[in-house]
Amino acid sequence: MKRRSLAVKNLLRKPGRTSALVILTALLALSVFGGSVVVGSLRQGFRSLESRLGADIIVVPSSAQSKVSFQNMLLQGTNGAFYMDGKNLDRVREVAGVELAAPQVFLASLKADCCSVKIQVIGFDPETDFFVRPWIEQSYTRQLGDLDVVVGSKVESGVGEIIRIYDERCKVVGRLAATGTGLDTAVYCNLSTMKMLLTAAEEKGVSHKVSSDESDDRISAIYVKVKDGYDIGAVNSEIQGHTRKCSAVRTKSMLTDVSDSLSAISGTVATLIGAIWLLSLVILVVAFVMIANERKREFAVLRLLGTSRAMLGGMILKESALCSLAGGALGVLTASMLVFPFTTLIETRLGLPYLRPSAGTITALALAALAATVMVGSLASSWASFRLSRVDPGTVLREGN
Amino acid sequence: MKRFSPGAAAALALSAVITVGSVSLLGPCVHEDGSFGSCHWAGQALLGIGLLLAVLSLAALLVKDGRLRAGMLFAAAAAAILGIFVPGTLIHLCGMATMRCRAVMRPAMTLLCALTALSCLTGGIAAYRKAGSEK
Repeated sequence: MKRRSLAVKNLLRKPGRTSALVILTALLALSVFGGSVVVGSLRQGFRSLESRLGADIIVVPSSAQSKVSFQNMLLQGTNGAFYMDGKNLDRVREVAGVELAAPQVFLASLKADCCSVKIQVIGFDPETDFFVRPWIEQSYTRQLGDLDVVVGSKVESGVGEIIRIYDERCKVVGRLAATGTGLDTAVYCNLSTMKMLLTAAEEKGVSHKVSSDESDDRISAIYVKVKDGYDIGAVNSEIQGHTRKCSAVRTKSMLTDVSDSLSAISGTVATLIGAIWLLSLVILVVAFVMIANERKREFAVLRLLGTSRAMLGGMILKESALCSLAGGALGVLTASMLVFPFTTLIETRLGLPYLRPSAGTITALALAALAATVMVGSLASSWASFRLSRVDPGTVLREGN
Repeated sequence: MKRFSPGAAAALALSAVITVGSVSLLGPCVHEDGSFGSCHWAGQALLGIGLLLAVLSLAALLVKDGRLRAGMLFAAAAAAILGIFVPGTLIHLCGMATMRCRAVMRPAMTLLCALTALSCLTGGIAAYRKAGSEK
């Protein structure tokens, strides 16, 4: 009990030294916790995208594919408006091996009064859809009526609120669970509502690439599910041959692109964390050795007063563990203040699916960061602790004279 | 009474960041058509709160009387707490989470105002205690 209080007293007696050690260990915890939360969020976002992309193949107009606009729309929420002939849907359905084919119509450049930015409206056919519907059914189980919309998690409108799109009053009937992808910034409606919105836009003199008259014949994307037993690659090639001015994209190739970017970012973050840890470890070891040299006489006196070597070593370890614990807590707190409130900003800047892990995972990461920091702090002081406990009190005190 | 108060100094630095930030990097959305959204007014309110915080914390740094300093720091803490509730609660922001007012201004200002309130409260308590012990 006495030793414990002595360790605390030693730390309080030298606030400058203690603060420096706390800040150094806080840097360790900040880097490992902040880095692991960012990487964990990217992985969670990727898993979410993987599960959301229930289709095996996505058919988009060639223009969309060449501009990578579809992938950007999906990952970053960039507004996309590209159209192809609606007959392509029938052509896709005729291909052997196609189990389901669902169309979607995208509308960009619609200015909603809710946010004074262009929002992406995605129209889908509730009868045939298998891409959006299962996701919507998690929050809204009834049939979407005319001018009923379901909003993504990043559209700040509550259920029951009215959002005006080209003066059309659309009722928000549901809010979707976050996916960490660009789909979170979109508004979803049925094709009939989409037609009304197009008409409303035209009445205001805003023209789109597709007019309301031909909206039944124009679609933006076709989501395809391949029957079991068929080779997805072969079906993809078949679709490519059957459709006109279209590109059939395998979702797997899209996921591979995202996965490659994710690996690159994870690698960079891991390298940075490693570098910070190595640097901090070296600084900590040097700091503890310097402190040990500075405190030689203090420990010599303690030895003369009857403190055993083990007790001295234990006291140094306790001091460093306390510093590391305080630093670890400070680092985790600082990382939390920097990473969690700015989730959307990080997601936008990275341009990759980003979904915060569950509270349990975050707590586990925080505890792991704290434990690692305390372990490294104790490890760094162990050499100094060993050297100090071996000090010969007589020699040290004579040196001082 | 000792002249320097670390709490007031920290509050002054943070309020400078709030003031400058509310009209620059940490400010509301900039609309292409030059129109103002409600987030603009949240930014203006934060500018006012930032200036008030700067004046109060500067005054708290300069005054010698401990109780007066404590009073100023407590008033600044109240203003900083008000600042936490300005973006999003007292004044609505834009409707999309990806917009600057929601992605940058709100979290940054909430964090800065919370830190300012903490600095002012700790500085105020320290000043009040010191003034009490000097009597």
